[in-house]
Amino acid sequence: MNGRRTFGGGGGRGRAGQNQQQGKDGQPRRPMFRRRKVCKFCADKIDDINYKDTRLLLPFVPERAKILPRRISGTCAMHQRKLRTAIMRARQLALIPFTAE
Amino acid sequence: MSGKYELVYIVSPDATDDQVSDLHTQVDGIVRRMGGRIEKTDNWGRRRLAYDIGRHKEGTYVLEVIDGSGDLMKEIDRRLKVFDLVIRHLVVRVDEDQDVIERRRAKRGQASSRRRIARGLPPERQPGEGQRGEPDDDRDDRFDMAEDLR
Repeated sequence: MNGRRTFGGGGGRGRAGQNQQQGKDGQPRRPMFRRRKVCKFCADKIDDINYKDTRLLLPFVPERAKILPRRISGTCAMHQRKLRTAIMRARQLALIPFTAE
Repeated sequence: MSGKYELVYIVSPDATDDQVSDLHTQVDGIVRRMGGRIEKTDNWGRRRLAYDIGRHKEGTYVLEVIDGSGDLMKEIDRRLKVFDLVIRHLVVRVDEDQDVIERRRAKRGQASSRRRIARGLPPERQPGEGQRGEPDDDRDDRFDMAEDLR
């Protein structure tokens, strides 16, 4: 590979010479190993997502203080919804920042 | 129509302890007058605010759990907006959510004891039982990078 990535298997057209050394184009992608994400609240059986519990909420508002999306944290839909209200309430009370300074 | 509410208000850091307790008495007065009851009061003390409110960087937090009507909470909300000493407040209705939480806990407890009986075990978990010793402090390490955010 010469550091360039092609999208789609049918490629190579118009890019003569660049990707030829690779032999087969439709090679299966190396499988990415990702840790299976589970909802923290389901796994730890936390029923009460409380706005007063900053210790619980802070990991879900990293750096820029934005709410961590579900696709990253793996939180299930129900708990993400509750998390969101809790974070919004905690923000009103200045327990959690709206933005990073 | 009655419900259970949580009221948190942040008092300006310039306020003396007397003023803070005076504020509590005033809230208590309104609650009593309108046929409510303060279930619990909790003074969290002085805390740093996550962002500046006005010119303040700190504040004294007070939590009150109040049993009362919606009109009562409306009145309290209106009154707290007027006090200059209160720099922020929040009213949240909690009874319905607490019911849901309790029901879910009960259901989970029942389900687990049913499973345990089916496996021929006593319905409650015995001390020292379990797959592995679970630490008391189960802080999650999945989002490490967020945790040094104070």
